[in-house]
Amino acid sequence: MIAEVRNLVKRYPSFELSEVSFCLDSGRITGFIGRNGAGKTTTIKAMLNLIHLDGGTVSFFGKPLAGNEAEIKKLIGYSTGTVSWYPRKKIRDIVDIVKRFYETWDEEIYRRYLDLFGLDETKTPLELSEGMKVKLNLLLALSHRCKVLILDEPTSGLDPFSRNEILEIFSKLKKEGVSVFFSTHIISDIEKCADDIVYISKGKIGAAMPLEDFVHQYSREGESLEDTMLRLEGGAFHA
Amino acid sequence: MHNILLKEMKLSASILSYLFILFGLMFLIPGYPILCGAFFVALGIFQGFQTAREANDIVFSALLPIAKEDVVKGRYLFVCLIEGCALILMALAVILRMTVFSRSSVYADNALMNANLFALGAACVIFALFNRIFVGGFFRTAYKLGRPFVLFIIAAFLAIAVAETLHHVPGLEWLNAFGTDYFAKQLILFLIGVIIFLGTTILSCRNACKHFEQIDL
Repeated sequence: MIAEVRNLVKRYPSFELSEVSFCLDSGRITGFIGRNGAGKTTTIKAMLNLIHLDGGTVSFFGKPLAGNEAEIKKLIGYSTGTVSWYPRKKIRDIVDIVKRFYETWDEEIYRRYLDLFGLDETKTPLELSEGMKVKLNLLLALSHRCKVLILDEPTSGLDPFSRNEILEIFSKLKKEGVSVFFSTHIISDIEKCADDIVYISKGKIGAAMPLEDFVHQYSREGESLEDTMLRLEGGAFHA
Repeated sequence: MHNILLKEMKLSASILSYLFILFGLMFLIPGYPILCGAFFVALGIFQGFQTAREANDIVFSALLPIAKEDVVKGRYLFVCLIEGCALILMALAVILRMTVFSRSSVYADNALMNANLFALGAACVIFALFNRIFVGGFFRTAYKLGRPFVLFIIAAFLAIAVAETLHHVPGLEWLNAFGTDYFAKQLILFLIGVIIFLGTTILSCRNACKHFEQIDL
């Protein structure tokens, strides 16, 4: 097991993340699915210690995140959708700072993905399209040889070709033993590349299991995954 | 800590944070409330906080492989670096006014506060107020800048008014002594100013680290 999320609780005035638990295994792709406002981003923020929890623990590589944050984060790659950091700084300048924090920064990997994504180092994030911002965040996450890649809606805003390109990268990383955890509301992305699925609804985990088992357990005869999810979200889990 | 300081300097800071260091040289202006120089240096740092907030700097920093409290420490370190540079300029101005320009009539006939060691100590107190009220106040939310800065403005100008008034109080004229007169007494006040700056900043940084752990980014 590469990461364990156990009994996460976070209370907001109008929303509660309740007893969220799941595990991530090495060399597997896990799709984190749920509708908007289900608690995906809150869970991911909790996994990165960006929010203060009311309960529960997060551990990576057998160590609790609390107290081992710096060490653990060196082994994690993180990317969030289209949020842009330092919109008026050149990509080259941002990268020049980021790489100093990682002993494992790999310039060759960085250059390779820079070319693959068609990013221009002399541009600023402000000059990038939404899709290119996603790629920039992904580039920063991939270039330091992380063991776990945590991505919040990495395929949102991307054209079908770029989405496919990113899903292929996930599959490649999986072969290298990297664990990929990505949130999405695009069910076809899960179908294409995920080994495991974590389904969250209204702040509660509805299912966390291998995708095959999920389909076997919840899908009806001839039903697509999308139809299954729509039916489940309609009330089956919380009835 | 070296890397996070570098990040503060190259990515988070506004160019104004650096340019406004030059306001430390306001200590050379005769007939002017020179402690306003310290206020303008703080204004430059405030501008840097605004720029950083627009760039999502705090979340970016919190995602770097560092302990969350190092985000706060890095920012405090940067603030102290700017304040330290300004204090060096102010100290140079004090040295010039106490030596080379000690006989200059524009300085000798100065009705306002003279640039001496007491003034330098008072500048340290202004920076201490900034670090406690503004920087500490900012890290209660990591995004609200207005309220802590307004509170700092009020505190800073009250402090400036007090410092400008004190040497008019009978018996305290030596606070405005020119040249090397009352050097020892003023040196003690300067050292007290430095101690207030260091003590306040360290305590404020510790509190800010605690608050920062509790807030949601």
